[in-house]
Amino acid sequence: MQSILQHPLLQRTLRVLTVLLALLLLGLLTRPVEAPAWQVVKAGQPEMNLEAIEGSLGQGLVIGVLGGFRAILADFLWIRTNTVWERKDRAKLDAMIRLVTTLDPRPEFFWINGSRMIAYDVPNWRIREEGGYDAVPEARQQVLDLEQAEQAFKLIDTALDFHPENARLYLEKGQIYLNRLKDDANAAEWFLKASQKPGAPFFAARIYAELLRRQGKNAEAYAYLKELHRELPDSPFAQKGVILERISELEDELKIPVWERYRP
Amino acid sequence: MSAAESFTRVRLIAGTTFLEAVRQKFFNSLLLISVALVASSTFFQQFDFGAGELKFITDFGFGALFFFGSILSITATAQLFFNEMENRTALTMLAKPVYKLEFLAGKFLGAHLLMLCFTLVITLVLSGILYWREAAIVAQLGAEALADGPLIRYGDVFLFGFLQWMKFGILAAITLFVASFSNTNLYTIVVSFFMLIICQLQYIARDAYSGMEAGWERFFVFGLGLIFPNFQLFNVGDQLVFDVEQVLPATVVLRMTAYGLIYTIAFILLAQLNFRRREI
Repeated sequence: MQSILQHPLLQRTLRVLTVLLALLLLGLLTRPVEAPAWQVVKAGQPEMNLEAIEGSLGQGLVIGVLGGFRAILADFLWIRTNTVWERKDRAKLDAMIRLVTTLDPRPEFFWINGSRMIAYDVPNWRIREEGGYDAVPEARQQVLDLEQAEQAFKLIDTALDFHPENARLYLEKGQIYLNRLKDDANAAEWFLKASQKPGAPFFAARIYAELLRRQGKNAEAYAYLKELHRELPDSPFAQKGVILERISELEDELKIPVWERYRP
Repeated sequence: MSAAESFTRVRLIAGTTFLEAVRQKFFNSLLLISVALVASSTFFQQFDFGAGELKFITDFGFGALFFFGSILSITATAQLFFNEMENRTALTMLAKPVYKLEFLAGKFLGAHLLMLCFTLVITLVLSGILYWREAAIVAQLGAEALADGPLIRYGDVFLFGFLQWMKFGILAAITLFVASFSNTNLYTIVVSFFMLIICQLQYIARDAYSGMEAGWERFFVFGLGLIFPNFQLFNVGDQLVFDVEQVLPATVVLRMTAYGLIYTIAFILLAQLNFRRREI
């Protein structure tokens, strides 16, 4: 029995177990010191989506994931993303965009340009793959547009988790609805959201009102523009003159009596 | 033997180790590469797509500090330990009234002093570049740029350096621990690098643990999160230097320092556990 206990293999196993046990206890003991600090540190770090990077861990990406050079690695990968985009490799493009935004979710540039590639360029590639605009029926083209737009929306929704107050991301979603899907109602909703965010460009609110007009909601657009004109600052960028012109057009269309017309 | 004598012996071993390390070509070349890389961050800025210039330079400098610092911490510690073994100087030293723990502590302190020099040089170079670029921006934009206070908190650059140095301390202690049972320098370096990766990524296991259902997998992931120290804790670059929403509180810095010290001492003691049985 004693000889078994003194067997080198058993001795070594016991030593390993002792070390593991010591480290386990140390981990438990240091938890009260570490956990509150970790809560604060974690809150300030961009979340890492492992699913997006697991396929690329063997490509020297470990360095980036480990914490150093995360920003520069994302920048270089973005250059590579553009090469993939030039080759029209849509499967790789999607993976690369996810990878770059996972590595460095801070710059809005990656999110906005990534979503544009997915929503505007990829549908063109897919339509060409299926024979071109003349051969693919309109209904099928719309399906492809919708599929790609949904992917782009998912990307922008993830971006909004990181930048919930960024007006440009809301605008991007509105523009995809408007320019790619020709969906005025949803586009209007997102332009309105964009206009309510801090630092939003003045045109977001004007486009929202125009989209209301396009949907035949003239009365709503009229009320909104009057309110907007009152709230906007007297800055040349606010284009209050243009708003006044549109109010006047709407008053004609809505046949508002002269005495009830808007007076700034 | 008194504590004062023991301290003197540790100090002497640390001093010799430090001098030996500073003379190493590896340290000098790595330091040169790191300084050159940090200094060239303004060149790399042309590849930047989002962050501001000063933020990019800071990220780049912090990345260089982490990356090259980790390499240096592991390789220098392993080399300094195995040099003594291969040259048989450890035999001569331990034949004298020097405890093995004193030998390990001396080696660790020598390597840690080396890392202090490295960290100081990198943070000084980074601060210098940031100061240069900040001055250029202020000259371009005028006093408006400083309306909300200074653009950069230079103290934070050194605070980040200090926290990285604490992390390098744990890493050097882990390397010594691996070296205490390993027979070759290469094995020590490879295993230590794997340990670095695990420690750096263990927070992912902890995140996964919180989302797992009860079972042996949850228990295993929980254990994994406890066994390896959390190096991601020291990755606070985003909360420092610039005016950010959530500034790093002093209590958090103190907790991180305490965490680093506890793990450093623990790994040196674990190294002693193996090293005292070792035939030299």
